[in-house]
Amino acid sequence: MRSVVDERTPASGRRTAPPPRRPGTAGRVRHRGVGERPNLLGGLGALAWLAVVVLPLYALVIATFQRGENYVPEGPLAPPSDPTLGNYATAVDKGLLGFIGNTALVTVGVVALVVVLAATTSFAVVRSRTRLTDTAFRMFLLGLAIPAQAVIIPVYVIIVRLELYDTLAAIVLPTAAFALPVCVLILVGSMRDISEELYEAMALDGAGPVRTFWRLVVPMSRSGLGTVAVYSALQAWNGFLFPLILTQSSDRRVITMGLYEFQGEYRVDVPGLLTAVVLSTVPLFLVYLVARRSLADGLMGVGGK
Amino acid sequence: MSAPARSRAAPRTGRPGPLWALPGALFFGVFAVLPMLLVAYLSFTHWNGLGTPAFAGLDNWTRLAGDPLMHRAAGLSLLLTVSSWAIQTPISLLLGVWSAGRQRGRAFLSAVFFLPLLLSSAAVAIVWRALLDPNFGPLAWAGPALGLGSLDPLGSGGSAFWVIVAVAAWQFIPLHMLLYQGGARQIPATLYQAARIDGAGRLGMFWHITLPQLRNTITTSSVLMVVGSLTYFDTVLIMTDGGPGTDTTIVPYLMFRAGFRSWELGYAGAIAFTLVVVATLIALVMVRLTGFGSMRSTREGL
Amino acid sequence: MTTPRVGTAAALAALTLLTATACSGGGAASEDMHVWMYQDTLVVVQEGAVERFNEDQGADGTTAVIDQVPGDNYVERLRTAMGSAQKPDVFFNWGAGSIAPYAEQGLLEPLDDHLAQNPELAEAFLPSVLESGKVDGVQYGIPLRGTQPVVLFYNRAVFDEVGAEPPQTWDDLLSLVDEFTEADVTPFALAGADPWTEQMWLQYLVDRIGGPEVFARIAGGDSEGWRDPAILQAAETVADLVDRGAFGDSYASVSYTEGGASTLLSEGRAAMHLMGSWEYSTHLDQAPEFAENDLGYVTFPPLPDGAGDPANIVGNPTNYFSVTAEGPHLEHALEFLAYTAQDEYVADMVANGEVPTTTGAEDVLADSPDPEFAVFQYELVRDAPHFQLSWDQALTPEIATPMVTEIEALFNGQSTPEEFVDAVAAL
Repeated sequence: MRSVVDERTPASGRRTAPPPRRPGTAGRVRHRGVGERPNLLGGLGALAWLAVVVLPLYALVIATFQRGENYVPEGPLAPPSDPTLGNYATAVDKGLLGFIGNTALVTVGVVALVVVLAATTSFAVVRSRTRLTDTAFRMFLLGLAIPAQAVIIPVYVIIVRLELYDTLAAIVLPTAAFALPVCVLILVGSMRDISEELYEAMALDGAGPVRTFWRLVVPMSRSGLGTVAVYSALQAWNGFLFPLILTQSSDRRVITMGLYEFQGEYRVDVPGLLTAVVLSTVPLFLVYLVARRSLADGLMGVGGK
Repeated sequence: MSAPARSRAAPRTGRPGPLWALPGALFFGVFAVLPMLLVAYLSFTHWNGLGTPAFAGLDNWTRLAGDPLMHRAAGLSLLLTVSSWAIQTPISLLLGVWSAGRQRGRAFLSAVFFLPLLLSSAAVAIVWRALLDPNFGPLAWAGPALGLGSLDPLGSGGSAFWVIVAVAAWQFIPLHMLLYQGGARQIPATLYQAARIDGAGRLGMFWHITLPQLRNTITTSSVLMVVGSLTYFDTVLIMTDGGPGTDTTIVPYLMFRAGFRSWELGYAGAIAFTLVVVATLIALVMVRLTGFGSMRSTREGL
Repeated sequence: MTTPRVGTAAALAALTLLTATACSGGGAASEDMHVWMYQDTLVVVQEGAVERFNEDQGADGTTAVIDQVPGDNYVERLRTAMGSAQKPDVFFNWGAGSIAPYAEQGLLEPLDDHLAQNPELAEAFLPSVLESGKVDGVQYGIPLRGTQPVVLFYNRAVFDEVGAEPPQTWDDLLSLVDEFTEADVTPFALAGADPWTEQMWLQYLVDRIGGPEVFARIAGGDSEGWRDPAILQAAETVADLVDRGAFGDSYASVSYTEGGASTLLSEGRAAMHLMGSWEYSTHLDQAPEFAENDLGYVTFPPLPDGAGDPANIVGNPTNYFSVTAEGPHLEHALEFLAYTAQDEYVADMVANGEVPTTTGAEDVLADSPDPEFAVFQYELVRDAPHFQLSWDQALTPEIATPMVTEIEALFNGQSTPEEFVDAVAAL
């Protein structure tokens, strides 16, 4: 396994990494000349995909202003003849905002846990290089592909034993644990890219591990930490199985559960149900509007940047 | 020149002790590793969720080996994985490379392409289920309008499975597109400039520069797809509940059904442990293939 | 060097724990007494009971709250909660088979002593109904709902349009299928995404063809009972109905719990719907005009040469409240049970279209929104030689879960009647 840890990819001949690039700087280079003739085929393909993405989203959003009884007769694509905000009022009445609040709490908890744990663990893995940390790293690597479903039964048993059943912590703890392997991997990647010289300079200053961590490692892994935060936040925001099995009462309901249960409650009121979906997406959408770059860069980071 | 040699040569000052890894490792141990061991244990017991598990020897495993439903589920999971990969990879690769260009229009379109990522799996499943409802959704309007009579893609075995594949593609292509976009932007422009001087066409450059340069991204994205398909569950539960019949009962759903519908937690444990083993094997292969362990130092070599 | 490192690690561990607990959102068990109900339109009756209970308790007493659990997940949620420390104090169930696993583990409070001390409660219910709340002779359940036989509902307006009469015989039923198909109306609404609705058809067919003995043998644990010719004939009848288009083309993804099938009937897109008597309350809530003017009902017709008594019915005799053993509100939970026999409670049930299982219910049926339907149900249940509990409630979950999937496959044409018999016999 040690060989795996230290193995180079064929592409990388050199060991010493260049100082980490800020997100986006690499891409600023225009590698397709501006004066090049336009890529017609690519454009057409992109337009086709645009239709695939936008049509359902359009049908989704437009339906939320439609009255339930007009939905089928008027068809999904026509703007409502008699638009209404009533669906939104109903969704709010049904406690949707509370579910979003719960989800936000869960998300904050997961992100905090994952960022702290992944950062300290990765720091140890990259810089400590003892058999213990290698073992820990190996464990995380093997855990990379473990599906949360596979262990839901024992997780349920453990949560019940910890007397955490039906609390938000019951969702936070396993969600964070299952986000850890990918996050450790990402952070180990960005911490390895910090050049040896910088570490040595810190050491010459007489900095201990804590100072090195705060002054060098954290600032230099900012983009990795961003990726980790985005990744774990999405895991928490979208989590389904853990809340399904580990909570039950309505005041611990997170938004995915709320939607799942609305599906049963709303009966055949498709616009009502779709309104709940749209409302559930508003918080993330706002984040996206404000921080589109960081969100996209964060997710690109999952692929290794 | 090997890393450990360098490490030993470097001063120890400022290096963290292994204790720094302890909180993370312990945490992962309790909520992920321990459960995996417990799953292995459960698979040798009969347990209905109440009271204490009773030792069952190999009962669950012999049953698993002979369960036609499990064979079917494994086949469906495999088909889901393969077809998801085959559909998502080309589309997301092409779109990703295309959108890596810095033209204003492309930037705008990538921003739109991102949108499905803002919806949770539950939301995606609910939206598509509503849109495909044969009586109260758009199909109730579209069927007669197009003269096709009543359409019920989720109601017939064959089409329901492909609906799941299509919804997975709709949901995840934006993510993979983003990965390829990121990958393509890291390809040094000099490579293209040199190729252009040599008179290479667009197709040639794509084939000889873009694809080889993206191979790490391709591996990463493929691995994510495989793992994702293995754990695809929320969508199946919400859209089809494993049906019609058992036509969309993939392995994770079968495990859920055995565990939380039939309350045969021992048998569910055997299915789950099978998943764990397969997932671990995939993780191993992935670590070998990607050199993930070496910390994606891919760009260093460029 | 070691000490600061340990200190840092400890600090980080502490931070981790803090974050985790801060997120638990005050997870401590609340002081309220939790009453779990299956979420549907009938819950208003139990809400009234909880309100009266809380009033009687006064400001200082225990407060009861109803947790409405969505129907799709009720059984799973109950089981996971019963395995934890957050058990409900009082919970809705289907009696006998559905609570047997809990009773075996000693998780339920035996109610015999309580009933002996409160004879007026014991005497309030029809003895035969109280009987189904027992496990191995011990009383664990108190009836909480009206009786729920499955009957054939139909849309009068649609029948008038086509000029048809509700079916009296199987031949009537088959010719109605043709008539409605021709008129472009789905003959029977069927919620194929909820296979327990398909199970109702099979249950009636098996009972009409072979009588109640056929399933009794299976419920007794003899899986060879599935090989009874009546099962095969019933399955063939199902296949025949499907082939004739009795359920239309797109039923496989129609849901009952989401209201799909009921809406098809009330909107006149389907002519008939085989469903439990709660269907009436559903329409009263969702489509009141239809419920009052156009909702018709008949019994399931006999089959030619069938051995079963056409007066037999299937469905749920009623639902029950059970009390969790050693709960923090045990005494109050027991007290709460008495509220299901109160006059106000019975009146609420009747007003909501239910037919109570309390003794003397006959006298109050006149107050029902549709006294005719109430009396119809009451007499149906009273005169039925056999009332078959839903198969999936009568069997243990490890058999019931795959069984309903097999039923679904049969209705979807994914398995032939012979394959169906082989599959269920192998369970």
